[in-house]
Amino acid sequence: MKKYIVKRLFLLVPTLLGITFITYLMIRLAPGDYTKLQLGMEGALKSGSISKEILEQEKKLYGLDKPIVVGYAEWLWKFARLDFGTSRKDGRPVAQRIADALPITLTLNIITMIIIYIISIPMGIISAVKKGSLYDRFSSLLLFVLYSLPHFWIALLLLLYLGSGEYLNLFPLGGIHSDWAGGAGPLVRFLDFCWHLVLPVITLTYAEFAFLARYTRANMLEVINQQYIMTARAKGLSEKKVVFVHAFRNSLIPLVTLMATLLPGLLGGTVIVESIFSIPGIGMLSFEAILSRDIPVIMAITTIAAVLTLLGILLADLMYSLVDPRIRLEAKL
Amino acid sequence: MQPRPLLTIIFAAIAFLPAGCARLAPAKDPHTLYMHMGAEPGTLNPITATDAYSHSINLRIYETLVDREYDTLKIIPQLAERWEISPDHLTFRFYLKKGVRWSDGVEFTADDVVYSYERIKDPKVACAQLKVYYIDIRKCLKIDRYTVEFVYSRPYYLALVFCGGMPIVPKHIFDTGVDFNTHPNNRHPVGTGPFRFDSWSTGKNITLVANERYRGAKPEIRRVVYKFISEPSVALQMLKKGDLDVMGVREIEWVRQTNSRKFNEKFYKKKYFMSSFSYIGWNESRVFFQDRRVRLAMTHLINRKEILDKLLFGLGEIVTGPFYIFGDSYNRDLRPWPCDPARAKQLLKEAGWEDHDGDGILDRNGKKFSFTFTISSGSKFAERLTSILKEDFSKVGIEMDINRYEWAVFLDKIQSRDFDATSLGWSDPDFQDDPYQIWHSSQIEGGSNYIGFSNREADRIIETARQEFDPAKRVKMYRRFHAILHHEQPYTFLYTMPALAAVSRRFDNVKVHKRGMNFVEWKVRSTQ
Repeated sequence: MKKYIVKRLFLLVPTLLGITFITYLMIRLAPGDYTKLQLGMEGALKSGSISKEILEQEKKLYGLDKPIVVGYAEWLWKFARLDFGTSRKDGRPVAQRIADALPITLTLNIITMIIIYIISIPMGIISAVKKGSLYDRFSSLLLFVLYSLPHFWIALLLLLYLGSGEYLNLFPLGGIHSDWAGGAGPLVRFLDFCWHLVLPVITLTYAEFAFLARYTRANMLEVINQQYIMTARAKGLSEKKVVFVHAFRNSLIPLVTLMATLLPGLLGGTVIVESIFSIPGIGMLSFEAILSRDIPVIMAITTIAAVLTLLGILLADLMYSLVDPRIRLEAKL
Repeated sequence: MQPRPLLTIIFAAIAFLPAGCARLAPAKDPHTLYMHMGAEPGTLNPITATDAYSHSINLRIYETLVDREYDTLKIIPQLAERWEISPDHLTFRFYLKKGVRWSDGVEFTADDVVYSYERIKDPKVACAQLKVYYIDIRKCLKIDRYTVEFVYSRPYYLALVFCGGMPIVPKHIFDTGVDFNTHPNNRHPVGTGPFRFDSWSTGKNITLVANERYRGAKPEIRRVVYKFISEPSVALQMLKKGDLDVMGVREIEWVRQTNSRKFNEKFYKKKYFMSSFSYIGWNESRVFFQDRRVRLAMTHLINRKEILDKLLFGLGEIVTGPFYIFGDSYNRDLRPWPCDPARAKQLLKEAGWEDHDGDGILDRNGKKFSFTFTISSGSKFAERLTSILKEDFSKVGIEMDINRYEWAVFLDKIQSRDFDATSLGWSDPDFQDDPYQIWHSSQIEGGSNYIGFSNREADRIIETARQEFDPAKRVKMYRRFHAILHHEQPYTFLYTMPALAAVSRRFDNVKVHKRGMNFVEWKVRSTQ
């Protein structure tokens, strides 16, 4: 087992190198670069030769005059020392910008994930047990309706009806803290924070129930028709015990696979929700960075996401063996 | 099931949260102004900042040697008390006001001016957008503690505006050996203006407070909070709720969402024109648009009035040239070319474009009239404009494709002149008028004349006007230049759109000047 983990960890290195190099290559090859964007259309370039000289100077400042491989090597060397460089936009260290944005996104996503799991897994189980019943049909219809409602629309409706004061005035119109919360006590600040999170969390969760609930339902159905379930029933176990102990546990394996995508998903963030609710999270940060070709920020976020994805996959593989002892890890390599 | 009580508590808490939190909020300070900002600036260093957002904040913190009067645009003293210009218009000597203090108490002197100039010229400082304005300055000298001199290498009628308007940063703060581009004070500015920096909460807001050391009249507004709200429709909700006091509104909001009595009791609606225009640019290096007759035909094919009414609610004005429509340089003798498809067809025929092979598409020498219209995918106006044009053009046998690109890619295409036609806008926030950057033939390579307009008479006018110091004579030249553009139609000039703003009636004395609004002069209405 230990040997396996060490081996897998070593394998992460070339994968990570590949991912970061391809990312770097793509940003550098994409049309448009930071300096040109800064000059924009209003780049009052006076007389040809001199302005070109200025443009070259500017490119040099950002290292855009170097060949791609050299640029990547320099980035890698810095990264090896855990230095992500400084952001083009505001000249602050990239690590600090990410440290500002990450906790907000993490909090939002963890709350969202918990709610999704708490609600959709039981729904899926009940649907499977009562397959074909009115409940089953109605709940899946409802979930799919929710699934197909666009985020930005729901978010704006929520704001209009629950936040704007034109109908109800229950929630703030965005942000994560009230302006006055700075000087308040920790409890008040925490409550204020929760108050601001309600609408974004609703927006992030409502559409996600469908997938997980249907997934659980399908897995459960498969398990429920197994002979050992019949045996359990024949033993005279209560229905509750049959469903939750014998059936559900065995339907967990595919859910574990899902967990693997969970980790990077936590970082992902959603640009739309963050932008509508004015939440300064990772989604907005990376979106802005890509649009403005802010290479250090793009590289840092991609790298962190890549590491998390790779670790997530590893974690899922390890968890397989926990959930199902029949799966042997050594054999897989 | 066991979790029920817990769930009940959670639901109760959520239900209680709104009522509880809303009650915790203290009463609003009437002397605080909440401004809307569509995006967060990266830096508040006036030398390295590039976006309009940081500019609008820096305007309140930093000052320059001279300022322009809000209505007449006359150049007036700000940090300099007076100045002398040599007869050859090359040397500008500024006498600084004595006793002006930075908001940290240190005195402002000629050293700060020279230091700022040196930073702009420094190749290590990332300010290409600013550098280009100061290419013609040969040197900037400190004569004594309160006197500086700029020497130009050639005369230019805007020289005083440029050297007098140069951003000035405090030397004692920035000259500490730390890299200028990433200096910590870029996010903690120290200036001489009516407001001083208070705090910056990343992703949320920037707060300024009144500068106690400011020598001029103290503004009634004591605190300004710039809130970053990227979603305009959410910002409008915030405005209505009272979370914002000022915001620019979009055309559709102006016409449809801000007309209720309730809204107008709470807000002023201000509409005013600045110097800006939108246009369609025809790339003259393309075989279709080399010919003036074809470009004119394209203009005749576009129903500008109808597009204005349909897409922009009739709020703007159709323009015939690049100058400020209410300014002196704008030639009012010219009338916009009418929408006239019959005339357009005739012009196309004269230029040799006819449907020879009967496939419904015009052609000349075997080449079909089929071009691509390049737009930025973020522009809703361009998106809707082009779909109207596509249909109108197809009626006379012109085939048009639409290519959408993300802004950075779009810019790259335009700057490398890799497009047939495009739609964009120019703005001239300081009413400088000088057409050199956009229209001089030397600006085709590397400049902003990316459609490749080249006209000998226009070049000559642009060059002489730059060295003409008599405004009346310059106006005459520019009107002639305007007539040339109208005749040549390198652009199909579209509209100048008004700035639309809503301002809370908590304030009085909210005036609109030629340069726009200025909250420094606003009065706080006393609450009943």
